[in-house]
Amino acid sequence: MKAITRANWLKSWEFLLFVVFVGVIILNVSLSPFFLGLDNLVNVLQLSVETIMIGLIMTLIIINGEIDLSVAAVMGLCATAFGLLYQNGTPLPLAALLTLGLGLLCGAFNGLWIAYMGLPSLVVTLAGLVGYRGLAYVLLEDKSVTNFPDEFSALGQHNLPGLPIPATLILFAFLFIIFFIVLHYSAFGRYVYVVGNNKTAARFAGVNVRRVKMILFTVSGFMSALAALVYAARVGTVRPNVANGLELDIITIVLLGGVSIFGGSGTLIGVGLSMLTVLSFRNGMTLANISGSVQTSVIGVLLILSVLLPNLFQEVQTRWRQRHYSEQQVQAGKERDVETKQPSDVTP
Amino acid sequence: MNISSFIRRSNMRIEQLRELALLFIIILIVLFFGSQIPRYFTGTTFERVGVNVSIIVVVAVGMTLVVLTRNIDLSVGSTVGLIAFVVGQQLSDHHNLSPVLAVLLAIGIGTLLGMLNGLIVAFGKVPAIVTTLGTLAIYRGLLFAYANSTSIHTQNLPGWIIDLPRVKVLTIGDLNITFLVATAIVIVVIFQLALIYLPSARRLYAIGSDPETALTSGIPQRRLVFFAFTICGALAGLGGFMYLAQIGTITTVAAQGLELEVVAAVVLGGVSTLGGTGRVIGALLGAVLVGIIEQGLVRMQFNEFWKQAIEGLAILIAVVSDSALRTRLRISLSHNQAMPISTETEKAGPTL
Amino acid sequence: MKLENSETVPTLEIKGISKRFAGTQALDKVSFALYPGEVHALLENGAGKSTLIKIVTGMYRPDEGEILIEGRPVQIDNAVQAQKLGIAAIYQEPRIFPDLNVAENIFIAHGNRGNLLRWRKLYADAEAVLDQLGVKLDVRSPARDLTLAMQQSVEIAKAISLNARVLIMDEPTASLSAHEVEQLFALVNALRNHGVAILFISHRIEEVFKIADRVTIFRDGKWISTAPVSRVTPESAIRDMVGRTLDTLFPKHDVALGETLLSVKNLSKGDAFSGITLEIKRGEIVGFAGLVGARRTDVALALFGIAPADSGEVQFKGQPRKITSPEQAMALGIAYVPEDRHEQGLVLPMSIIANISLPTLSQFLTRFGLIKRQQETDTAEDYRKRLSIRTSGLSLEVGKLSGGNQQKVVISKWLNAKPALLILDEPTRGIDVGAKAEVHNIISELATQGIGIMLISSDLPEVLGMCDRIVVMREGRQMAIISRQEATQETVMAAAMGQMVETT
Repeated sequence: MKAITRANWLKSWEFLLFVVFVGVIILNVSLSPFFLGLDNLVNVLQLSVETIMIGLIMTLIIINGEIDLSVAAVMGLCATAFGLLYQNGTPLPLAALLTLGLGLLCGAFNGLWIAYMGLPSLVVTLAGLVGYRGLAYVLLEDKSVTNFPDEFSALGQHNLPGLPIPATLILFAFLFIIFFIVLHYSAFGRYVYVVGNNKTAARFAGVNVRRVKMILFTVSGFMSALAALVYAARVGTVRPNVANGLELDIITIVLLGGVSIFGGSGTLIGVGLSMLTVLSFRNGMTLANISGSVQTSVIGVLLILSVLLPNLFQEVQTRWRQRHYSEQQVQAGKERDVETKQPSDVTP
Repeated sequence: MNISSFIRRSNMRIEQLRELALLFIIILIVLFFGSQIPRYFTGTTFERVGVNVSIIVVVAVGMTLVVLTRNIDLSVGSTVGLIAFVVGQQLSDHHNLSPVLAVLLAIGIGTLLGMLNGLIVAFGKVPAIVTTLGTLAIYRGLLFAYANSTSIHTQNLPGWIIDLPRVKVLTIGDLNITFLVATAIVIVVIFQLALIYLPSARRLYAIGSDPETALTSGIPQRRLVFFAFTICGALAGLGGFMYLAQIGTITTVAAQGLELEVVAAVVLGGVSTLGGTGRVIGALLGAVLVGIIEQGLVRMQFNEFWKQAIEGLAILIAVVSDSALRTRLRISLSHNQAMPISTETEKAGPTL
Repeated sequence: MKLENSETVPTLEIKGISKRFAGTQALDKVSFALYPGEVHALLENGAGKSTLIKIVTGMYRPDEGEILIEGRPVQIDNAVQAQKLGIAAIYQEPRIFPDLNVAENIFIAHGNRGNLLRWRKLYADAEAVLDQLGVKLDVRSPARDLTLAMQQSVEIAKAISLNARVLIMDEPTASLSAHEVEQLFALVNALRNHGVAILFISHRIEEVFKIADRVTIFRDGKWISTAPVSRVTPESAIRDMVGRTLDTLFPKHDVALGETLLSVKNLSKGDAFSGITLEIKRGEIVGFAGLVGARRTDVALALFGIAPADSGEVQFKGQPRKITSPEQAMALGIAYVPEDRHEQGLVLPMSIIANISLPTLSQFLTRFGLIKRQQETDTAEDYRKRLSIRTSGLSLEVGKLSGGNQQKVVISKWLNAKPALLILDEPTRGIDVGAKAEVHNIISELATQGIGIMLISSDLPEVLGMCDRIVVMREGRQMAIISRQEATQETVMAAAMGQMVETT
């Protein structure tokens, strides 16, 4: 893995993001003195706890060079199933367990086609996006389930006794730590990066590429189911259109966190910072009375800029080199910047 | 006789075979519904299906162009909604706005929105998924800002546009072809012909088929991809106009999710997301298939909520069978290949 | 065919072209000329031809030297310029659009603007071009349905339609059947009659003698000779290609050979290779010699489980085995250092440390499955010392290392797996002389430790200097197994080219 030397770190995406984050905080504070209050900060995170939960697994999937567009639909399906099970008398713990199982199943189904049949994840999860959501509608149609028991809702809405932080955020923090350790310190995490960088070299080194992908998509289904349970507890109402369009937010946060859409790079630190930044930014905009939809479009602009600006910068750099250095050095510079495929008999 | 000898003999491209199979499936399904539903084979059925499908078809034509180059445009839903609203607003405020101008306004805005996508993807080199996920949000936000918590209501619109869906262009016996359906058909014909006879359009296929070879062959890749997105936007604009005529009441969530239905139609129609194959006619057939299934289910008193689930399943089946079919056909059709046969899924490219 | 007389201007002439990459001089002041209507063969021992092709087709710029088209000096900056100058190249793997049909593939690069495509005319024109070349094809079939040979003809037709005056053919016959080769030659003759200058690069000596007018020989990036084919014989060609004296610096130790490690009988895989039968003992270095297209790598990939064989027996450490995956091969104790170190051997953006530990990551884990970073670093440091990997730091991305050091990283990574059998595929290709010697030392060391080594190499002196025995392959078949005592450059090269030679 790339070592974080001092010089490196200053140039890294994470640092840039940190600067932006600080900027956003300052902006928000100027907009409203309540921003830095613990209550508000906690609230900001809580409102989007499902988004950031799923964002954890989405980070790994994109680093691995794939994508999962079906996460929100699976969450909707699981929420619906959970509501139905409970409504029909299933004891809550059992219903929760079955829901988690359903999520696992959906994820594994995706994984089957992607990991073992080699189909492109974009289309398979697109089919899932439509299909799983459709199943949710089949199950619950246009109705909703609302009367969850108080103890359950308390889990979702209240703080754990004695702590100033809601139970859901504690859950998130716990998950964040686990994912962090797995991605950055475990063998599996190493494999996720390697496969995302160079599937062939991974295979030639004996990495079981298929198993890695299968695990990732299965976990994705599980996380979506978990998020569904959290949502049911927190919001108290479940409908088939739960989390409609949430995948956009999730993917945006991950990409803004410095994870390349092409795979192979990015860190959970970056994504964590991105979560804080984006959510604070949204909060600030809310405080400034900007509507939710406009907020989303601003995020959309940021998303595009996050890829566009580095590209333009690269282009300018190459042109500058061309004017100031010999063609040799330009060529050498290009060969250093870009991994070009060389003929196997001569390698520069 | 097996499939490969059949193909060799009849000189068909794989795409045409695919479309034929799709047509066959449509016929089967129509027959099935016909047996289950009384008075299925009437003009009303055709009208109802046509009504639902024509907007999707128009937008799908544009999407086809983009997908052929191995890109995708997820912002079409927001584009359609935005344009439906803007044009609707203008018509509500200025009842004497001429229809032609209204249509031009719709297409014009769509073109601009498409050009933005094209600029960012082709010249900014931002992958299409990222770009159009972003513009999906941006255009929807623009709609929101423009709408400012209002909606367009049918009663405020000039009569001609409310009546437009019912205007009959052609009547064959029991069958009425309405204006919107005719528009869709005309668009399909124009672009299908363009894709056959226009050299620039053929180059779209080349770009999707093998982007690297396209580069070394001197094909102006960036310009062509830019045009593809621009036209996609223009057609989405037209689709927006048709949406306004069709639905009348436009809210800020208008056409949300439309892009998925369009992609579904395109994928079902045999246009591969890996680029290089597929035709506009395929997209038409794909949209028709979904429309027919949807209609039939409703008529059979089926739970209307099955529509989406079946759509999702259909996309999956289409992708899996396409992949399997193409691999198997290729192995049996080609002989003496010393090269290892790479499956389509190994093609590297901008889309995942 | 008419050759140079003092009045004919060469269509393409290169003068004093050199190109250097980090550590290797790919081309060293090479010069020769191509005349209209001549088939000029290039025989090469070394690795300069790819670079030469890339220079002439505008991918690279030479460090020094001139390129002249019909007597005028030109600068070729990119592919489109090369095309405009009338230079075209076809390669072993055809560059076509698989989804478009033949006619479209031929004409797609033409910049006809705005006119409507008239399909009937397109098909007629395509057939006309193909006719000129004497090729019969269904112009309506999608290019992906064609055989390799037919795809090649389409590429050539495309070049002709763009008025190519120079056609470079890089190993065009490598994947063709005998019949297809005949057809290709007929095509080449048609081109010749049209005055096209053809650079025919091939390793098949008999073909060269059948089709070429003149023969140029390169060795290690240097021009050796150019002569009319009538004045060259296979023996003289081989001699020119091989030319230098053996380096006496190959550190081959005498090793007492142990028991048989690997025993292969009649290993075959479809079109790739057949009838491979050999043995490797512990401590033995068995070389695999052959030319491009000999399919030696395919055999290695079969033994390593990436592309398993269809039939035949493999016995490893005395047990019969069917090797079907790399994990299995690794578990058995087989390691493979690939030919393509960028795509297959290394993950370029990752650090040296991470690359070295990758195949054996399970060795570096704590009880809970976390990576012991310190142990990783220590291991990498170990190998850095052992193999003299030159780097500013072990956390550096391997992509930034020189070729030689990259290769050492690959070797380290596999050494760490403690293999019993180590397969090396062109391990010293593209690395500088110093690193090369170091790698050879390492290989010898390993043999003394009882590791069996399969050394695939196109570098004859290397093979002769390092190996106990040499298996020579040609186009997927095993031609000979030559012992160290009897192996000479000529015998090995001759066997590699299919000339019959006395062997053990």
